[in-house]
Amino acid sequence: MDIVVCIKRVPFTQEVDLEIDSGQRDIVKDGLAFVLNEWDNYALEEAISLKERLGGQVTVVSVGSEEDEEVLRRALAMGADRAIRVDAGNRTLDVRCISRILAKVVKDLPFDLILTGAQADDTNEGCVGVMLAEELGLPHASVVKGVEVLDKGLRIRVELEGGTEEISLIKLPALLTIQTGINEPRYVSVMGIRKAAKKELKVLALEELRLGSGSLEPDSSVERLFFPPEQGGAQMLTGDPATIAERILKILKEKGVIQ
Amino acid sequence: MYPKGAEVLFIPHWIFLMISLLSLGFFLRTIQKRIVPLRQAQKDPRFNHWRLRILGLLKDGFLQIRQPRYPFSGVVHLVIFWGFVVLGLRSLQLIFYGLGIPFINPFSTEGIWHFYAQLKDIFEVLVLIACVLSIIRRAVLMPSRYKGSHQFEAYLVLSLISFLMITDIALDVSHFALKNTPIETISSKITAGLFKAFSASQLRSVFNISFLLHLLTFFVFLNILPVSKHFHIITALPNVFFKKLAKGSIKPARYGIEELEDLEYLGIRKITDFTWKHILDFYSCTECGRCSDNCPANLSGRALSPKILTLKLREHLYSTYPVFRRPTQDSQIVGEIVGEEEIWSCTTCGACERECPVFIEYIDKIVDMRRYLVEQGENPSTFNQVFLNMEKTGNPFGRPGQKRTEWLLNLEGIQVRILKKGEEVDTLFFVDSYPSFDPRSQLIASAVAKGLSMAQVDFGILGPLERDSGHQVRRMGEEGLFQLLKEQNQKTFEAIRFQRIVTTDPHSFNTLKNDYQLKVPVYHYSEYFLELFKTGRLSKKGVPKGGRYTYHDPCYLGRHNGIYEAPREILEEILGVKLVEMKRSREKSFCCGGADVSLWHEVKEEERMAQKRIGMALEVGADRIVTACPFCLMHLEDAIKTMGLEGKIQVLDLMELIISVC
Repeated sequence: MDIVVCIKRVPFTQEVDLEIDSGQRDIVKDGLAFVLNEWDNYALEEAISLKERLGGQVTVVSVGSEEDEEVLRRALAMGADRAIRVDAGNRTLDVRCISRILAKVVKDLPFDLILTGAQADDTNEGCVGVMLAEELGLPHASVVKGVEVLDKGLRIRVELEGGTEEISLIKLPALLTIQTGINEPRYVSVMGIRKAAKKELKVLALEELRLGSGSLEPDSSVERLFFPPEQGGAQMLTGDPATIAERILKILKEKGVIQ
Repeated sequence: MYPKGAEVLFIPHWIFLMISLLSLGFFLRTIQKRIVPLRQAQKDPRFNHWRLRILGLLKDGFLQIRQPRYPFSGVVHLVIFWGFVVLGLRSLQLIFYGLGIPFINPFSTEGIWHFYAQLKDIFEVLVLIACVLSIIRRAVLMPSRYKGSHQFEAYLVLSLISFLMITDIALDVSHFALKNTPIETISSKITAGLFKAFSASQLRSVFNISFLLHLLTFFVFLNILPVSKHFHIITALPNVFFKKLAKGSIKPARYGIEELEDLEYLGIRKITDFTWKHILDFYSCTECGRCSDNCPANLSGRALSPKILTLKLREHLYSTYPVFRRPTQDSQIVGEIVGEEEIWSCTTCGACERECPVFIEYIDKIVDMRRYLVEQGENPSTFNQVFLNMEKTGNPFGRPGQKRTEWLLNLEGIQVRILKKGEEVDTLFFVDSYPSFDPRSQLIASAVAKGLSMAQVDFGILGPLERDSGHQVRRMGEEGLFQLLKEQNQKTFEAIRFQRIVTTDPHSFNTLKNDYQLKVPVYHYSEYFLELFKTGRLSKKGVPKGGRYTYHDPCYLGRHNGIYEAPREILEEILGVKLVEMKRSREKSFCCGGADVSLWHEVKEEERMAQKRIGMALEVGADRIVTACPFCLMHLEDAIKTMGLEGKIQVLDLMELIISVC
């Protein structure tokens, strides 16, 4: 099974006190570390373990700068066979543009399945996967938590509201956006990443893709970035530990966190 | 004069020639088979430091000063070993006598040989007694450290040695009786009465039968050596000679390879991925079990016993390179021969290596096996985030570098310089990750800073420039990540001028001192503060609170770096604390649980090491445990809580104690 995985490099923001820059449209990125988007990591693991079981090739694609090649190398170290980076220069792109760019690249690749993360850690839009499927006219499913390979397609488990799940069948070729927890992504050692530097990493300039001029015009843009004002909503529980534990359990059930 | 005895010996020489050639040929063939894996194994540069190695061989190989750490078996072993040294010549004499080749006559009584005849007789009697005692001890006392050892082999060899002694005594005494030239030996005195009753022909029979049996036993014994645990009789001395000299450090992923990226894989996949010295280790194990008897993982019911690890690997080695067949496919070790849980059970405390009488190495082997697991992505999944955090932020918590100085907020009124590139300072205080971020460990870092400030030391910290020392990740098998962290730190070190490094934590002290190649001296704070007290730059103003104090030696301060006295000197001589010592102290100290794997991976065990350690402190009536390591402090404090002993016993860091009275 040939699989294409679309991945993205995002700021490593856990434990960081984020600051908003003077333009109020982005965060201050100086001094931040960058990592592979967590959801993409799961998508990648899913692709590679499918390949290990069924054979085929895994190609990873990312739209980004030279620095973003780091996550492609990590993907190669994890077991991907080929990596493609589309260099978009300094252009501001929205999810729609990104999906059009990816569609153009993926269209010419052999694939039975396309995987993306369900969302990205930075902008949390969760759009690119679905839009890419639309661009390519593929059946798709979002927030997938399980993949089982059948003769003529896949049986997939999709996460829905309130902790419910849905099992669906989907024909190939298809696109799935992957939810965290679907698998246990393997560790990629630093030495492994260095070794993967020898594998091919293809760089495409945006111009080479010959996209129509309208395709790269964003339909949406960020107006202002701000921290939400602090609000109430905290609930103080009192009583002995057993009572408190019981009430926490009840709340968690009500909110659909556990069943 | 030679051969006087020929007329006594009526067995023809050609029989001995046949026996000798056959057995020697067989022996050499086995040895040749044993050399094959040594040659196929990895490089390991041990042909160096000749003076040190020769001294070590004398001290640990011939005087065997580690043996009496177990007094009874140690002394017994020394007797048997020295017996072998003395009787080696005797064996040669007898073989040549049997072959009819003129060599030193074994029955000569002239000059020096008179003395040798008596000396060898004394040793024969002593060795015989030692063997009998050993047999009785094994059979009656059944020490637990022999669990899993080859008991039959032990009895067989002890019996063979005893039989060698008995037959030599018999042939010697009967010969002297026949020739009527008795030498006053212990044996001849004891047996004089017995042999008087024998006729000359009976004596000749005794001589000939004893002689034949002696040589036959000798050659059987020789051939048993390379196929049993008694191979150590041949390999132990070389193993001691080639012992690891660089204490505290971890071996490189591969010796003799510049670019690790060129390797197909890191670590141990198959048996010949070990170095030749590590293969020699397998040959040299005597199965005495002293390693496991001191291994905290084994004693707390984890899946690891160092002795069993060696035995399993040796067995695998022997079945891969058999004596009678061609070598078989060199199969995977990790997960097959050695369990993953076994590999992650080790705390790298070094107790096994400290006890091993033949200097078998464990930590390097275990780390090498971990390297393989990590590179294959088969490490415990909880490590993934820790490693990623280390790579991205330089600390295991994933906290941004800017927050590395937050602990300074604990210091009221004390200014600490945060060094920038290009600056100069006398003492670089390397805080490391846990003391920078972990709330409890931060208090130790604060205490060090306060102490340095009180002693008016010109010091500074690296703050956001500091990256984790990499001690943990290296021992967890992430070699590439260690190299990365080391390179980053070294670059920072090169950009700042300083005279010395002082660390909070024995682990960063160890790795900066032994794993990094730095030109400046590195001190753990205990050594440095002892110096500050001695030179009068710091003095105590009060006395520590009353209580019964004991000191817990952190593994990486004590065993790995030999610093046992500095903390004790501060405690006893400077602060005036009276210490009670736990049964396991100094080089016998018992690991608290360790500073790497145990922080992020739950290893199955019966009882936590730290709980056992608290038990040992209670045993000597201590209610205050002083230690000098943030991780020991953490584990021991946890144990006190889980044991419900809060208020009854307390752990404190040496630095906190110093600060409380200065």
